[in-house]
Amino acid sequence: MSCCPPCSQLRAVLIDLSGTLHIEDSAIPGTVEALKRLRSTNLNIKFVTNTTKESRQVLYDRLLKLGFEINKDEIWSSLWAARDLLANRKLSPYLMVSDDALEDFADIVDASKPFDSVVIGLAPSKFDYTHLNEAFRLLLNGAPLVAIHEGRYYKRPDGLALGPGPFVKGLEYATGCKAEIVGKPCKDFFKSALGNTDPSAAIMIGDDVQDDIGGAQALGLRGFLVQTGKYRPGDETKIDPPPAKVCSSFVEAVNFILKEIGVA
Amino acid sequence: MSFRWLRRPIRGVLLDISGVLKDGSTVIPGSVEAVNLLRESGLALRLVTNESQETRSSLAEKLSSLGFSVHERDIIPPGPTLVDLLLRENLRPHLLVHPDLVAEFKGIDTSNPNCVVIGDAAESFTYENLNKAFRVLIDAKEPRLFTLGRGRYYKEKDSLMLDVGVFAVALEYASGVKAEVVGKPHPDFFKAALRDIGVDAEEAVMIGDDLLSDVGGAQNCGLAGVLVRTGKFRPCDETNPSVKPDAIVDNLAQAVQLLLKSEH
Repeated sequence: MSCCPPCSQLRAVLIDLSGTLHIEDSAIPGTVEALKRLRSTNLNIKFVTNTTKESRQVLYDRLLKLGFEINKDEIWSSLWAARDLLANRKLSPYLMVSDDALEDFADIVDASKPFDSVVIGLAPSKFDYTHLNEAFRLLLNGAPLVAIHEGRYYKRPDGLALGPGPFVKGLEYATGCKAEIVGKPCKDFFKSALGNTDPSAAIMIGDDVQDDIGGAQALGLRGFLVQTGKYRPGDETKIDPPPAKVCSSFVEAVNFILKEIGVA
Repeated sequence: MSFRWLRRPIRGVLLDISGVLKDGSTVIPGSVEAVNLLRESGLALRLVTNESQETRSSLAEKLSSLGFSVHERDIIPPGPTLVDLLLRENLRPHLLVHPDLVAEFKGIDTSNPNCVVIGDAAESFTYENLNKAFRVLIDAKEPRLFTLGRGRYYKEKDSLMLDVGVFAVALEYASGVKAEVVGKPHPDFFKAALRDIGVDAEEAVMIGDDLLSDVGGAQNCGLAGVLVRTGKFRPCDETNPSVKPDAIVDNLAQAVQLLLKSEH
């Protein structure tokens, strides 16, 4: 077996949620057990996910129900990354996010402070003329624009519907500002999830070759692509450099890591 | 101040309405008298506007009630130009326009739409209305998107309000369809106004508060472009790297005063 310098220093593993650990309300076979074995090591674990509407609490409750052993503060979502960015810069955000997502921002909102930043998630009830004008005037005064992502549209039971992207682009056009995108595949997202850990000492496991693997590898992590969830044959050839490893599932990825650090 | 625009004889004057004559329903001081002076001078005059919140006739009535000596035939808004185009090309529009503008499209077939028309719909820019327009665009075989102007924002009462261009950009991004502008800054629109008064571009001046749409658009057509420091004007407009007005004046009254003084 070949081994390379980073192996001995592996410190952290970032794990995607949907499509990697579970699909909707079912755990992918073997993943609960595999996570337990990964936990028996002293590796740092973070669960990284792009979401515009589910708060950390909602994500936590779902994983717990599926039987995963997990701590709430190990969950690093794109909403949480936005919250982290705002907290670090001591900003008071005008939040265009869904009601469910508001929970993540509850402890940094100070009602006595005037708004000095704008956050856009997926909030159909707030994508209207009045709310957009409010956001526009803040941006014109120099408030930064933070976007959870720039998706063009999403699927609703009654058909396709506009995502956050069109409104982000519209506000950029109105004000000449440029939005800061949080979440995968942005480098800053992986950087904030890693904290003090060096990217070369970390592995990202996920089913999205662009957002999970391409994004992580751009920062210097190793990306392990799993062939579950949204994976389609040939995905591994879509990025250059290719994924550091392709695994049939999260279970195989964990087995490989345990072998690499000499546990199994 | 630069007097370059006054070095050549001016025979025709094109004025923007919102931000030059009035803000919302408030007359900008000195503008009523300035329009009267222009009329007495015998210079050809047209009001070239991207106003799309109401029909040409109701706009004329509103201006008259504010004290302006203005007839319906003096006003060139984009609505009637677009109606001609829709009829000429047999297009059936889905209308995302202000309720007060709908009358302008009387007699146009809007069943089974094959294109989208957006104007300054203001409060009618709801999420669901934008979705309807988006779905027409993604369902049509050869989708076309027409926008009545491409303005970023305008001033009403004491607030800046988002203009139609922002929503055109949003729909463009979501659907991948490039919007076709009817109105300023499209050259055809300025040319139509000049044809109407029988004046060459070199003998005409456009006075407006929108640096890109009024001043830049007119200059691209060979007219002189004068920026007023009223309406949506912002100090940074004076140092914009891409558009340099032929003159920047405090308001319409000052522009007319300079213009008429040079006549003698």
